Amino acid sequence: MPRLGIGSTEGWLLLVILAMGGGLGLFAPSFLTLPNLFDLLNASAVNIIFGVGLLVVLIAGGIDISFAVAASVVQYLTAMALAPLGGGDWAVGLLLAGGFGALLGCLNAFFIHQFRIVSIVVTIATFNLFFGLLMFWSGGVSIYDLPDWWTTRVVIFGTETAGGHAELTLPVLVMVACVAATWLLLRRTSTGRQLYAMGDNPEGARRVGISIGAMHYLAFGWLGLMAGIAGLMQSHYAQEVVPNALYGRELDVLAAVVLGGARLGGGRGTILGVFLGIILVAVTQNGLNLLGISPYAFKMIIGAIILVAITLSSQGVGRLIGSWRTPAARGAA
Amino acid sequence: MVNHYRRALCAGIIALAFAGGAQASPDKPVIGVVVKIGGIPWFNAMEAGIKKKAAELGVRAFMVGPTSADPALQVRAVEDLIAQKVDVIGVVPNDAEVLEPVLERARVAGIKVITHESPKQKNADYDFELASSKGFGEAYGKRLVEALGGKGEYAVFVGSLTVPLHNAWADAANAYIKANAPGMTLVGDRYGVAENVDQSRSTALDLMRAHPDLKGFLAFGSQGPIGAARAVAEKRMNGKILVMGPFSPGQGRKLVHDGVLTGGYMWNPALAGEVFVTLGTMVAKGETIKDGTVVPGLGTVHPDGHNLIVDELVDLNKDTVDELAKTGL
Repeated sequence: MPRLGIGSTEGWLLLVILAMGGGLGLFAPSFLTLPNLFDLLNASAVNIIFGVGLLVVLIAGGIDISFAVAASVVQYLTAMALAPLGGGDWAVGLLLAGGFGALLGCLNAFFIHQFRIVSIVVTIATFNLFFGLLMFWSGGVSIYDLPDWWTTRVVIFGTETAGGHAELTLPVLVMVACVAATWLLLRRTSTGRQLYAMGDNPEGARRVGISIGAMHYLAFGWLGLMAGIAGLMQSHYAQEVVPNALYGRELDVLAAVVLGGARLGGGRGTILGVFLGIILVAVTQNGLNLLGISPYAFKMIIGAIILVAITLSSQGVGRLIGSWRTPAARGAA
Repeated sequence: MVNHYRRALCAGIIALAFAGGAQASPDKPVIGVVVKIGGIPWFNAMEAGIKKKAAELGVRAFMVGPTSADPALQVRAVEDLIAQKVDVIGVVPNDAEVLEPVLERARVAGIKVITHESPKQKNADYDFELASSKGFGEAYGKRLVEALGGKGEYAVFVGSLTVPLHNAWADAANAYIKANAPGMTLVGDRYGVAENVDQSRSTALDLMRAHPDLKGFLAFGSQGPIGAARAVAEKRMNGKILVMGPFSPGQGRKLVHDGVLTGGYMWNPALAGEVFVTLGTMVAKGETIKDGTVVPGLGTVHPDGHNLIVDELVDLNKDTVDELAKTGL
């Protein structure tokens, strides 16, 4: 595997994405244009925000099914809370959405830690609880009447190209901020190292004096914070709050994050992997549309590409190729 | 088990409250309508139609909305209506087959049965439809052909590749366009994204990129027109690319006025509610519906077996969308 100072999973994913990108560039001329690449980023931003949040939980050895519907709950709560505040603005909105999200995440952590319940069981329960409460309480009614600042498109960077108008929008900026914050947490703080340690070996982590409870609240609270922000971004570009808009998104994000090398058992996973996993799925979908392939074949092709990518990046293949290569390498040396 | 009894008890109490003292008689028939699920905008509008028509005709008609879209709850609701000895039972079935035995029991008890959105329903006296799948699809095809002058590329979205109704609409629209506008071409095949606003939006963006000459989207599925219209707005193609499809008026109102969502057709649930009452009153009084009979709300009908299928489409455009949105749709 090429040594780029990144893990082998990420390297293989990057290779697959570059190969696909090259192929698409040849057969679909509009793929390698600035407007298309910017749109890919715009469209993936929300999933990447969800993804880096989920990564923190996976690294800490947990799993969360409830975050996407929690984001829907946050959208409703934020819209409700803003009305008496006279509409608010981006600062208030982000604060409220992040706050509500973190609270819902901490609710998961409370049950997981205080009652020592496995995280998948708790979050399946809260998934149903959140969604049920939302449907009951909203009566399935969407909110179309959001404040203007919430629904007005914010263009960070726009330019005219031969291929049309290309622009990066607010969700991308927010995504960069969320990715940077998560990177700092995981890579530049001792808390981050403790999260990895707990995911790898909870008992060992406890014995060296890491506070398991604090780590649970931090991991699930962080995912809640990210989910709240992602929910705000989704309703920003959709320009409406629909109760079931994010239902089912948790599995798409989970699949992409695991594809990016995060281990379901905890202790392993990188932000670059999350980014590449989500981009791979987005590029596939985008490429299928650009190539004009029949939608009846979409699921089949996406499934096949995920299988290829995950097989290539698994350690088994690395070892297989490694054992072929090693004798030759020795011979050369 | 306890839950079952409790549910039965609740249903009984609700039914009693509804039926409160009304006795069936040929002049003042009692009509009970069981819908798919209560409390959602579509059936709230239907209930308003039922109440309005009942007041006009001086009959007793009421709607029963189960708490979830569960066929078993509908069966129970119909059983309750049989026990109340109503004259007419109306049903918008969640599952046509599950209801067959209980509807048979209703008819044995001398109750007339009317269904809606369930053509070819067994054990029903009449089924009425406000839109035929062919007429609905063709109306869209016709409107797109006229708006584009019979030229250009267009794309089709459906809710999912396995939704029979959406695909029947898409088939009819494509067939019409093929027959009447040889200058128009369908790009790709149909895309199963129209129940999801995000997917509709990103697929529309991709298709606009892949096909620079794309001139129109036909989106069958509640979120498809909204998502495609947002994509068109983002690419500042207002008016250059048309977006048509059935959508919730409240949701699409702003986009229609911005000129990115061209419009479409739907049928009005309030009208369906009214027809339940008028048709119910007619059959309760012993009238038979023959070819050429005029049923208020449906117009002149030409029964196909016991199916009364008409195309009472409501035009969705910038002049009508606000009125429809006001009814909560």
